[in-house]
Order: sequence, then C-alpha cells, then structure tokens
Amino acid sequence: MNWIYGKWWKWLSAIMLVYVVIGGFVVPLGPGITKISPSVFKPDTVYTFRITAYHAHFLSPEAGKVQLWFKNHYTYYKPLSVNVVSNSEIEATFALASTQQEKIVPSSFDVVINNNVDGTFALREALTLAKAKAIDSASVFTAETTEPVVENNKHRLFCFPYREILYETIRNTFFHVPMWFVMTMLVFTSFVASTLYLTKPFEKWDVLAHKAVVAALLFGTCGYLTGLVWAKYTWYIGVSWGDVIRKLLLEDIKMAAALVAIFFYVAYMIIREMIENDERRRNIAAVYNIFAFVVFILCVFVLPRLTDSMHPGNGGNPAFSKYDLDSTLRLFFYPAVIAWILFGFWILSILIRLSFIEQKQKV
Amino acid sequence: MRTLLTIFFSMLFAVVSFAQGETGSENIFKSNLKIYVVAAVLTIILACLFAFMFAIERRLKKLEEK
Repeated sequence: MNWIYGKWWKWLSAIMLVYVVIGGFVVPLGPGITKISPSVFKPDTVYTFRITAYHAHFLSPEAGKVQLWFKNHYTYYKPLSVNVVSNSEIEATFALASTQQEKIVPSSFDVVINNNVDGTFALREALTLAKAKAIDSASVFTAETTEPVVENNKHRLFCFPYREILYETIRNTFFHVPMWFVMTMLVFTSFVASTLYLTKPFEKWDVLAHKAVVAALLFGTCGYLTGLVWAKYTWYIGVSWGDVIRKLLLEDIKMAAALVAIFFYVAYMIIREMIENDERRRNIAAVYNIFAFVVFILCVFVLPRLTDSMHPGNGGNPAFSKYDLDSTLRLFFYPAVIAWILFGFWILSILIRLSFIEQKQKV
Repeated sequence: MRTLLTIFFSMLFAVVSFAQGETGSENIFKSNLKIYVVAAVLTIILACLFAFMFAIERRLKKLEEK
C-alpha cells in the first residue's frame, strides 16, 4: 500500500479541482429565452410580443439573419415581422385568424429562435392562445405556416446548455454527481480490501476496508445534502423543506435507495464499534462489508433503473446519453469525476496513515 | 475552539437573518437563474470537508498528547 505516500496524484487532484471550479463558474450558460410578454393572446388581433433572451447575440455581426417561429404541435408559424431591439431582445408581431383556431391543438405555442451564432433555441409552451369567437367573418391576418430552414451554429459558442428549470444549476453536475462516483469507488475499494482480508488476514486490509467506508460516508453525506438542496430549487419549487424530504423519499426511488445504502454502511461502523474482540470484529466486519457492497450496488445501480425516477438517465435509460451531457459539460465533468475520486483517496490515505500511527503507539 | 464555534454560529445567525429579510431565502435562490443554488451546494461540500478536517485534527491531537 505504498500508494498512500505518493504525491503526484494528490497534485493532479488539486490542479484538476481548481480547473473544474474555475471552468465550472467562468464558462457562461448558453442562449435561452427567459421571458415573453404578453404570454396569452387572442385570435384576430395583431400582437407585438417582446421576447427577452439570456446570453444571446442577436446584434452580433456574425449572427446573420435572426429567424423566429411560433411552433404549435409540429407546425411552424411565421411571424408578420421580426425586429431585433438589442442583443437580448426581439419584438415579433404575430396574428392568428379565428378560422385557424380549430387546428391549434393544444393551445400553447413554443417560441423558436435561430441565428448563426447562438444556433437554435426555444422556450416551450411560451404562448397560450385564448380561443375566442370570431370578431367578424373576414379576419385581418392569417398566420402562415412554414418549414423551418436554418443555418445555425456557424460560430459555435463555448457554453453550457441552457435548460429550463435547471438554468445555472447545471453546474452542480461537477459537484453533486462526482460525490456519488467517489463514494462508489471508495466502497468498491473497501469491498476489495475485505475480500483480500478474508483470503489473507493481514491487518492492513482491515484498516483499508474500514477507512474507505469512513471516507465513503463523508462523500455520501455530501452527495445527499447537495442533492437535497438541488432538488428543492429545481424539481420541487415552492415546496416546503419537510415536503421536499417526504416527496424525495416516497416518490424518487433513487433517493430512498441511496439512503438505504448509506444506512447499511452506518450499520457497518456500528458493528465495528460493538465487537470487542479484535479478530472477531475484523472477520465479521469483512463478511458484512461484502454483503453491504452487494446491497449498495442493488440500491444505487439496479433499483433506480427499474422504475421511473426524477433523476436523468433512470427508468431504463443509460445515464450518459447525449441528452444528459453535452460536449462542453463533458470537458469539465470527466476531469471533475477524476479529481474528486483522487481527492477521496487522498482523504482515505490520511485516515489510513493516522490509524497506522495509532496502532504503532498501542504496541 | 469555543471562540471559533461562537464566531461560526454568529455567522450562521447573520445568514439566517439575511434569509428572513425582505427578499426571503426562496427568492435569493431563484434569482439570477438559480446560480446561488450552486453556491449553496459548494458551501455544503466545503462545510462537510471542514467538519471532517476538524475530526481528523482531534485524533491527531490525541496522538500528539501521548
């Protein structure tokens, strides 16, 4: 176990973590539509909609022509005119004839914007049509349908994807998610150490197994608490803390299962404390640890895949699909995972060295 | 140690009283496209790590006293 005295991987962890924290905060969020007003409209009236976007580049010389559509179901409607007010604001006039109303099912419209810098971005269900009886038989304007032809992302931006509900919290991918990766790696190390202890009862394997669980519990706690906060402000907006915890445990199987897994390792710690006899404690702990690892895998990797969960990539889908992570996120996510895992092992190495000194002093 | 804890808790009170002000903690975390949620997440991780560091230091101190 000479790796615990090594230095290079601790430096690697530190450098990569600095890279992740700086990059994770400096890289801007991609373009997105934050607001449209008015958001409800009636037929047979010409409306001027003011659309506010975030981090868009409408006035940039490379942006080219800014295109805008109102999309209902699979049909794209052309606005009467598009007027770029500023880099982040567009005014679009649009009217719908009362004779067209029947085709509008459901009554909500997405707003889709495209230009050469920002690419295509949209706000789902941005507009709602308040259906009304025709004002007179001859309507003023008929909204034209069109096929969206786009030239986009000629000048691709370096940014994180703008996702509704998530917004800036998408950066938590570099902090919340790796916590569970670290926990998994530490728990796996502990499992391997326990197996080694059962084949050859060296004391160092027992120490490694024990300390890896201590470190794993630290990261598990971090992962759980950060997940709690993230969930409160994304999935459960406006729900009180008590209800958030209740909902997470009852409705999100991943959260409930992860808590069960954590408790199994808390039980491991308690079992160690309870048995006085050294050899007995080590044997029982090793056997229990293998059992706990199986439960951990079942709870964290198998159970959540069986039913639906609020977590992305669950309910039958693999986690790292192209919809969950884009290439810019990957550029920071993978280093974040490696950096946090190395950091976890750094903590583990300190714990092991401490307990080695404690043992020496006992003798 | 006790002074440190007092300072820490008085800082917590400041945070809590700030959160109960005009804006309310709900609005702070929802403003600016929820960037403060990321700050909160980082704070939690740091707090856990610091708590852990103090626990390690307590064990080290015991070793030093022997």
